[in-house]
Amino acid sequence: MTDMVKLMAGHGYVLTFSLLFAEAIGLPFPAAIALVAAGAAVASHVLWGPSILLIAVAALLMGDTVQFWLGRYMGWLLLGFLCRVSINPETCILRSAESFYKRGKITLVIAKFIPGVNTMAAPLAGSMKMRFWQFLRLDFAGATLYATTYLTVGYLARDFLAAILRGFHAAGETMEAVVVTALVAYSVYRVVQYRKNRMYRVVPRVQVEELARRLASEDSSRVLIVDVRSHGYYDSGSSRIKNSIRIEPNNLEEEIKNLSKDKDIYLYCT
Amino acid sequence: MLREKGFNTFVIVGGLTAWRKAGEPLESVPQNDLVKLPTFS
Repeated sequence: MTDMVKLMAGHGYVLTFSLLFAEAIGLPFPAAIALVAAGAAVASHVLWGPSILLIAVAALLMGDTVQFWLGRYMGWLLLGFLCRVSINPETCILRSAESFYKRGKITLVIAKFIPGVNTMAAPLAGSMKMRFWQFLRLDFAGATLYATTYLTVGYLARDFLAAILRGFHAAGETMEAVVVTALVAYSVYRVVQYRKNRMYRVVPRVQVEELARRLASEDSSRVLIVDVRSHGYYDSGSSRIKNSIRIEPNNLEEEIKNLSKDKDIYLYCT
Repeated sequence: MLREKGFNTFVIVGGLTAWRKAGEPLESVPQNDLVKLPTFS
Protein backbone atom coordinates (compact mmCIF):
# COMPACT_ATOMS: atom_id res chain seq x y z
CA MET A 1 0.00 0.00 0.00
CA THR A 2 2.89 2.32 0.79
CA ASP A 3 4.34 1.77 -2.68
CA MET A 4 1.02 2.57 -4.27
CA VAL A 5 0.59 5.69 -2.18
CA LYS A 6 4.10 6.85 -3.13
CA LEU A 7 3.34 6.23 -6.80
CA MET A 8 0.09 8.14 -6.56
CA ALA A 9 1.78 10.99 -4.70
CA GLY A 10 4.39 11.36 -7.43
CA HIS A 11 2.36 10.77 -10.56
CA GLY A 12 -1.24 10.31 -9.42
CA TYR A 13 -2.89 12.94 -11.62
CA VAL A 14 -0.94 12.09 -14.77
CA LEU A 15 -1.30 8.35 -14.19
CA THR A 16 -5.04 8.56 -13.64
CA PHE A 17 -5.55 10.78 -16.68
CA SER A 18 -3.43 8.55 -18.92
CA LEU A 19 -5.04 5.27 -17.88
CA LEU A 20 -8.56 6.63 -18.18
CA PHE A 21 -7.91 8.24 -21.54
CA ALA A 22 -6.31 5.04 -22.84
CA GLU A 23 -9.26 2.97 -21.68
CA ALA A 24 -11.73 5.45 -23.18
CA ILE A 25 -10.16 5.16 -26.63
CA GLY A 26 -10.54 1.40 -26.49
CA LEU A 27 -7.20 0.20 -25.16
CA PRO A 28 -7.31 -2.58 -22.58
CA PHE A 29 -6.24 -0.59 -19.52
CA PRO A 30 -7.69 -1.00 -16.03
CA ALA A 31 -9.43 2.35 -15.62
CA ALA A 32 -11.63 1.20 -12.75
CA ILE A 33 -8.59 0.00 -10.79
CA ALA A 34 -6.85 3.32 -11.43
CA LEU A 35 -9.88 5.15 -10.05
CA VAL A 36 -10.07 2.92 -6.98
CA ALA A 37 -6.36 3.52 -6.35
CA ALA A 38 -6.88 7.25 -6.79
CA GLY A 39 -9.79 7.11 -4.33
CA ALA A 40 -7.54 5.40 -1.79
CA ALA A 41 -4.93 8.10 -2.39
CA VAL A 42 -7.54 10.79 -1.73
CA ALA A 43 -8.38 9.06 1.56
CA SER A 44 -4.66 9.13 2.41
CA HIS A 45 -4.57 12.90 1.65
CA VAL A 46 -2.11 12.28 -1.18
CA LEU A 47 -4.45 13.55 -3.91
CA TRP A 48 -7.18 16.18 -3.77
CA GLY A 49 -10.62 14.74 -4.44
CA PRO A 50 -12.18 17.46 -6.64
CA SER A 51 -9.06 17.67 -8.82
CA ILE A 52 -8.84 13.95 -9.43
CA LEU A 53 -12.56 13.81 -10.22
CA LEU A 54 -12.20 16.66 -12.70
CA ILE A 55 -9.18 15.02 -14.34
CA ALA A 56 -10.91 11.65 -14.54
CA VAL A 57 -14.05 13.06 -16.15
CA ALA A 58 -11.97 15.14 -18.58
CA ALA A 59 -9.92 12.09 -19.63
CA LEU A 60 -13.04 9.98 -20.19
CA LEU A 61 -14.79 12.73 -22.13
CA MET A 62 -11.77 13.34 -24.35
CA GLY A 63 -11.31 9.65 -25.12
CA ASP A 64 -15.02 9.14 -25.76
CA THR A 65 -15.10 12.19 -28.03
CA VAL A 66 -12.30 10.71 -30.13
CA GLN A 67 -14.28 7.46 -30.39
CA PHE A 68 -17.48 9.35 -31.22
CA TRP A 69 -15.95 11.14 -34.21
CA LEU A 70 -14.13 8.02 -35.38
CA GLY A 71 -17.48 6.24 -35.26
CA ARG A 72 -19.12 9.08 -37.22
CA TYR A 73 -16.55 9.03 -40.03
CA MET A 74 -15.38 5.41 -40.05
CA GLY A 75 -18.75 3.81 -39.26
CA TRP A 76 -18.83 0.10 -39.85
CA LEU A 77 -15.11 -0.14 -40.33
CA LEU A 78 -14.43 0.96 -36.76
CA LEU A 79 -17.30 -1.05 -35.31
CA GLY A 80 -16.08 -4.12 -37.15
CA PHE A 81 -12.64 -3.57 -35.66
CA LEU A 82 -14.06 -3.27 -32.16
CA CYS A 83 -16.15 -6.42 -32.72
CA ARG A 84 -13.24 -8.36 -34.21
CA VAL A 85 -12.91 -10.65 -31.20
CA SER A 86 -16.53 -11.67 -31.50
CA ILE A 87 -17.35 -15.04 -33.12
CA ASN A 88 -19.70 -13.23 -35.49
CA PRO A 89 -18.60 -9.60 -35.96
CA GLU A 90 -21.65 -8.59 -37.99
CA THR A 91 -24.06 -9.94 -35.42
CA CYS A 92 -22.01 -8.20 -32.74
CA ILE A 93 -22.39 -4.86 -34.54
CA LEU A 94 -26.08 -5.26 -35.29
CA ARG A 95 -27.02 -6.47 -31.82
CA SER A 96 -25.04 -3.72 -30.15
CA ALA A 97 -26.71 -1.13 -32.39
CA GLU A 98 -30.21 -2.51 -31.79
CA SER A 99 -29.66 -2.70 -28.06
CA PHE A 100 -28.22 0.80 -28.02
CA TYR A 101 -31.17 2.12 -29.98
CA LYS A 102 -33.87 0.33 -27.96
CA ARG A 103 -32.53 1.25 -24.55
CA GLY A 104 -32.31 4.79 -25.66
CA LYS A 105 -29.70 7.36 -24.93
CA ILE A 106 -29.61 6.45 -21.26
CA THR A 107 -27.29 3.60 -22.32
CA LEU A 108 -24.52 6.15 -22.58
CA VAL A 109 -24.91 7.01 -18.90
CA ILE A 110 -24.47 3.44 -17.67
CA ALA A 111 -22.33 2.04 -20.50
CA LYS A 112 -19.06 2.45 -18.65
CA PHE A 113 -20.12 -0.10 -16.08
CA ILE A 114 -20.82 -2.77 -18.70
CA PRO A 115 -17.81 -4.49 -20.27
CA GLY A 116 -18.05 -4.53 -24.05
CA VAL A 117 -20.79 -1.92 -24.22
CA ASN A 118 -18.26 0.43 -22.66
CA THR A 119 -16.04 0.30 -25.74
CA MET A 120 -18.90 0.33 -28.26
CA ALA A 121 -21.11 3.10 -26.85
CA ALA A 122 -19.28 6.20 -28.06
CA PRO A 123 -18.53 4.96 -31.61
CA LEU A 124 -22.08 3.65 -31.90
CA ALA A 125 -23.44 7.05 -30.90
CA GLY A 126 -21.26 8.58 -33.61
CA SER A 127 -22.22 6.03 -36.25
CA MET A 128 -25.90 6.35 -35.40
CA LYS A 129 -25.83 10.12 -35.98
CA MET A 130 -26.47 11.23 -32.42
CA ARG A 131 -26.08 15.01 -32.11
CA PHE A 132 -22.68 15.82 -30.67
CA TRP A 133 -23.89 18.11 -27.88
CA GLN A 134 -26.44 15.56 -26.82
CA PHE A 135 -23.73 12.91 -26.77
CA LEU A 136 -21.47 15.18 -24.73
CA ARG A 137 -24.21 15.85 -22.17
CA LEU A 138 -25.04 12.17 -21.70
CA ASP A 139 -21.41 11.11 -21.73
CA PHE A 140 -20.58 13.75 -19.13
CA ALA A 141 -23.26 12.28 -16.87
CA GLY A 142 -21.92 8.76 -17.48
CA ALA A 143 -18.28 9.73 -16.93
CA THR A 144 -19.12 11.61 -13.72
CA LEU A 145 -21.17 8.70 -12.37
CA TYR A 146 -18.45 6.19 -13.25
CA ALA A 147 -15.57 8.22 -11.82
CA THR A 148 -17.47 9.16 -8.66
CA THR A 149 -18.50 5.56 -8.00
CA TYR A 150 -15.02 4.07 -8.24
CA LEU A 151 -13.31 6.96 -6.47
CA THR A 152 -15.79 6.52 -3.62
CA VAL A 153 -15.13 2.77 -3.52
CA GLY A 154 -11.39 3.45 -3.27
CA TYR A 155 -11.95 6.16 -0.65
CA LEU A 156 -14.10 3.96 1.56
CA ALA A 157 -12.12 0.75 1.07
CA ARG A 158 -8.62 2.07 1.66
CA ASP A 159 -7.90 -0.28 4.58
CA PHE A 160 -9.42 -3.22 2.75
CA LEU A 161 -7.23 -2.46 -0.28
CA ALA A 162 -4.13 -2.40 1.91
CA ALA A 163 -4.99 -5.90 3.13
CA ILE A 164 -5.50 -7.11 -0.42
CA LEU A 165 -2.17 -5.65 -1.55
CA ARG A 166 -0.39 -7.38 1.33
CA GLY A 167 -2.02 -10.58 0.16
CA PHE A 168 -0.78 -9.96 -3.36
CA HIS A 169 2.80 -9.56 -2.14
CA ALA A 170 2.56 -12.84 -0.27
CA ALA A 171 1.14 -14.58 -3.32
CA GLY A 172 3.63 -12.97 -5.69
CA GLU A 173 5.52 -16.14 -6.62
CA THR A 174 2.33 -18.06 -7.24
CA MET A 175 1.08 -15.26 -9.46
CA GLU A 176 4.31 -15.32 -11.47
CA ALA A 177 3.95 -19.05 -12.05
CA VAL A 178 0.34 -18.57 -13.15
CA VAL A 179 1.31 -15.78 -15.57
CA VAL A 180 4.18 -17.81 -17.09
CA THR A 181 1.92 -20.86 -17.49
CA ALA A 182 -0.75 -18.72 -19.15
CA LEU A 183 1.81 -17.24 -21.56
CA VAL A 184 3.12 -20.69 -22.50
CA ALA A 185 -0.42 -22.01 -23.00
CA TYR A 186 -1.27 -19.01 -25.18
CA SER A 187 1.87 -19.50 -27.29
CA VAL A 188 1.02 -23.17 -27.82
CA TYR A 189 -2.52 -22.21 -28.79
CA ARG A 190 -1.21 -19.70 -31.36
CA VAL A 191 1.13 -22.28 -32.88
CA VAL A 192 -1.71 -24.81 -33.15
CA GLN A 193 -3.96 -22.20 -34.77
CA TYR A 194 -1.21 -21.25 -37.22
CA ARG A 195 -0.69 -24.85 -38.28
CA LYS A 196 -4.42 -25.38 -38.61
CA ASN A 197 -4.88 -22.28 -40.78
CA ARG A 198 -2.04 -23.22 -43.12
CA MET A 199 -4.45 -25.45 -45.01
CA TYR A 200 -6.20 -22.34 -46.36
CA ARG A 201 -3.10 -21.61 -48.42
CA VAL A 202 -3.98 -24.50 -50.71
CA VAL A 203 -7.04 -22.63 -52.04
CA PRO A 204 -6.10 -21.71 -55.64
CA ARG A 205 -5.77 -18.01 -56.36
CA VAL A 206 -6.60 -16.40 -59.68
CA GLN A 207 -5.67 -13.04 -61.10
CA VAL A 208 -8.38 -10.59 -62.15
CA GLU A 209 -7.29 -10.81 -65.81
CA GLU A 210 -7.61 -14.59 -65.83
CA LEU A 211 -11.15 -14.43 -64.44
CA ALA A 212 -12.12 -11.64 -66.83
CA ARG A 213 -10.96 -13.77 -69.77
CA ARG A 214 -13.04 -16.68 -68.54
CA LEU A 215 -16.10 -14.45 -68.14
CA ALA A 216 -15.69 -13.32 -71.74
CA SER A 217 -15.52 -16.91 -72.99
CA GLU A 218 -18.32 -19.38 -73.70
CA ASP A 219 -17.49 -21.04 -70.41
CA SER A 220 -18.79 -18.08 -68.40
CA SER A 221 -22.01 -19.85 -67.40
CA ARG A 222 -19.97 -22.10 -65.10
CA VAL A 223 -18.60 -19.13 -63.15
CA LEU A 224 -20.09 -17.88 -59.91
CA ILE A 225 -18.51 -14.84 -58.29
CA VAL A 226 -19.18 -14.54 -54.58
CA ASP A 227 -18.75 -11.49 -52.39
CA VAL A 228 -17.73 -12.48 -48.86
CA ARG A 229 -17.16 -9.02 -47.44
CA SER A 230 -18.44 -8.48 -43.94
CA HIS A 231 -18.97 -4.76 -43.72
CA GLY A 232 -18.88 -3.55 -47.31
CA TYR A 233 -22.62 -3.71 -47.73
CA TYR A 234 -23.48 -1.30 -45.04
CA ASP A 235 -22.35 1.96 -46.56
CA SER A 236 -24.76 3.48 -49.02
CA GLY A 237 -23.35 3.63 -52.51
CA SER A 238 -21.37 0.41 -52.07
CA SER A 239 -20.49 -1.42 -55.23
CA ARG A 240 -19.61 -5.01 -56.02
CA ILE A 241 -18.38 -7.08 -58.97
CA LYS A 242 -21.07 -7.18 -61.62
CA ASN A 243 -23.33 -10.25 -61.39
CA SER A 244 -21.75 -11.42 -58.17
CA ILE A 245 -23.81 -12.69 -55.26
CA ARG A 246 -23.29 -12.23 -51.58
CA ILE A 247 -22.55 -14.93 -49.04
CA GLU A 248 -22.50 -14.18 -45.36
CA PRO A 249 -19.22 -15.84 -44.30
CA ASN A 250 -20.42 -16.25 -40.73
CA ASN A 251 -23.45 -18.20 -41.90
CA LEU A 252 -21.74 -20.48 -44.39
CA GLU A 253 -23.51 -23.69 -43.34
CA GLU A 254 -26.86 -22.23 -44.41
CA GLU A 255 -25.60 -20.25 -47.37
CA ILE A 256 -23.99 -23.20 -49.19
CA LYS A 257 -27.35 -24.95 -49.45
CA ASN A 258 -28.16 -22.50 -52.25
CA LEU A 259 -24.92 -23.05 -54.17
CA SER A 260 -24.48 -25.38 -57.12
CA LYS A 261 -21.49 -27.71 -57.32
CA ASP A 262 -21.64 -27.46 -61.10
CA LYS A 263 -20.11 -24.01 -60.96
CA ASP A 264 -16.63 -22.80 -60.12
CA ILE A 265 -16.84 -20.36 -57.24
CA TYR A 266 -14.62 -17.27 -57.20
CA LEU A 267 -14.49 -15.57 -53.80
CA TYR A 268 -13.51 -11.99 -53.14
CA CYS A 269 -13.52 -9.42 -50.40
CA THR A 270 -12.34 -5.82 -50.27
CA MET B 1 -14.90 -25.12 -45.75
CA LEU B 2 -16.36 -24.77 -49.24
CA ARG B 3 -13.62 -26.99 -50.61
CA GLU B 4 -14.22 -29.52 -47.86
CA LYS B 5 -17.87 -29.67 -48.96
CA GLY B 6 -16.83 -30.41 -52.56
CA PHE B 7 -17.13 -26.95 -54.12
CA ASN B 8 -14.49 -25.96 -56.66
CA THR B 9 -13.36 -22.71 -55.11
CA PHE B 10 -10.88 -19.98 -56.03
CA VAL B 11 -9.84 -16.71 -54.46
CA ILE B 12 -9.55 -13.56 -56.58
CA VAL B 13 -6.16 -12.02 -55.92
CA GLY B 14 -6.52 -8.44 -54.68
CA GLY B 15 -10.30 -8.73 -54.32
CA LEU B 16 -12.62 -5.89 -55.26
CA THR B 17 -9.79 -3.36 -55.23
CA ALA B 18 -7.87 -5.21 -57.94
CA TRP B 19 -11.07 -5.74 -59.93
CA ARG B 20 -11.84 -2.03 -59.81
CA LYS B 21 -8.26 -1.07 -60.72
CA ALA B 22 -8.39 -3.37 -63.74
CA GLY B 23 -11.44 -1.45 -64.95
CA GLU B 24 -13.71 -4.48 -64.86
CA PRO B 25 -17.47 -3.89 -64.54
CA LEU B 26 -19.10 -3.16 -61.19
CA GLU B 27 -22.67 -2.76 -60.06
CA SER B 28 -24.37 -1.17 -57.07
CA VAL B 29 -25.18 -3.39 -54.14
CA PRO B 30 -28.93 -4.14 -54.29
CA GLN B 31 -31.04 -2.32 -51.71
CA ASN B 32 -32.25 -5.67 -50.34
CA ASP B 33 -28.70 -6.59 -49.39
CA LEU B 34 -28.05 -3.36 -47.54
CA VAL B 35 -28.34 -3.50 -43.78
CA LYS B 36 -28.42 -0.12 -42.11
CA LEU B 37 -27.91 0.92 -38.53
CA PRO B 38 -30.81 2.67 -36.84
CA THR B 39 -30.10 6.37 -36.43
CA PHE B 40 -31.00 8.92 -33.79
CA SER B 41 -31.42 11.74 -36.28
